[in-house]
Amino acid sequence: MKTLLIAIFLILALVLSAQAQQDSRIQMSGLDHLAAKANQTVDVNIDERLMRMAARVFDDKDEDEREVKKLIANLKGVYVKSFEFETEGQYAAADIEPIRTQLRGPGWTRLVNVTSKKEGMLEVYLLFNGDVVGGLAVLHTDDKELTVVNIVGPVDVDKLARLEGQLGIPDLGIGSPKNKTKNDEK
Amino acid sequence: MNDDYLWDKTGQPDPQIQQLEEILGTLRYQPRPLALPQKRNYFPLLAIAASLLLALLAGGIWLRVRSRNTTPPQQAKVETPTPSPEQKPEITPKPPETRAASNPPILARNRIHKPRSASSVLREREEALMAKEQLLLALRLTTQKLHLVHMKTQPNQIKNQHRVG
Repeated sequence: MKTLLIAIFLILALVLSAQAQQDSRIQMSGLDHLAAKANQTVDVNIDERLMRMAARVFDDKDEDEREVKKLIANLKGVYVKSFEFETEGQYAAADIEPIRTQLRGPGWTRLVNVTSKKEGMLEVYLLFNGDVVGGLAVLHTDDKELTVVNIVGPVDVDKLARLEGQLGIPDLGIGSPKNKTKNDEK
Repeated sequence: MNDDYLWDKTGQPDPQIQQLEEILGTLRYQPRPLALPQKRNYFPLLAIAASLLLALLAGGIWLRVRSRNTTPPQQAKVETPTPSPEQKPEITPKPPETRAASNPPILARNRIHKPRSASSVLREREEALMAKEQLLLALRLTTQKLHLVHMKTQPNQIKNQHRVG
């Protein structure tokens, strides 16, 4: 009987640790109803299969595309839901709560939390499997915007940030006077 | 000492001999019935195997239920796409509904290893290009957000960098 209990305990531990390792995918289907209220919706669901397919059509001769291909090489999925609304108050805190609950789960660490009057609340979460980053989540909540980004798999955040200005990714001109507004910081 | 004692156990025994007899007597042959080894108890091993099977079964069911509940990955769509200058002319975004409907036949054909027709290859390439566009859009959005965070968290450093540059 003692052996049986130990075996069950070990199995449970194995299952839980395996689950924790692969659970960087965030369920966002609860936000789908907001699409009806939004005047602009971005909904991207790229799983591992589509990721591999997309990687095949990247041009290896192009340096920028080669960089992106390298970045996505080990990713398991990219999921985005973004809603832009005409007016304020189109979504409630309860709509985001399921996302937050998942991000409060084991392994997830909130790396950055920025709150500003102009840009709203921006949170960056990383999922760590030991010392390795196993996933990334970005949650942007504004009066008229709600964006959830979820990258599943070992993502290099530095490389991702360096993509600015490449492949149509706009160069935001960090630090330019028009972008920098000191007054909007809380 | 009587030597006959050692020969036929008659006469007066020597105390040392007696003591030795007592000590060694414990090792004397004692007839007893043949003890066959007991049948091995396989219950713990069977229990472990059954637990493993049950856990695997439960895990499989759970994963299947979970994947059914999630949105199908083929339904990648952007309702209001922002055209970028780098967009290649041959990439023509199709409505997501048609794309989602066209995915399963490609998969089914791949599974039975039939030679793929030119149209299916073309369709697969189209799907890959579409996925690439979606992926770039997602990366664009992610990068924007990360830069916004960067701007907000390191305003002074960025300002100084620009002054130097």
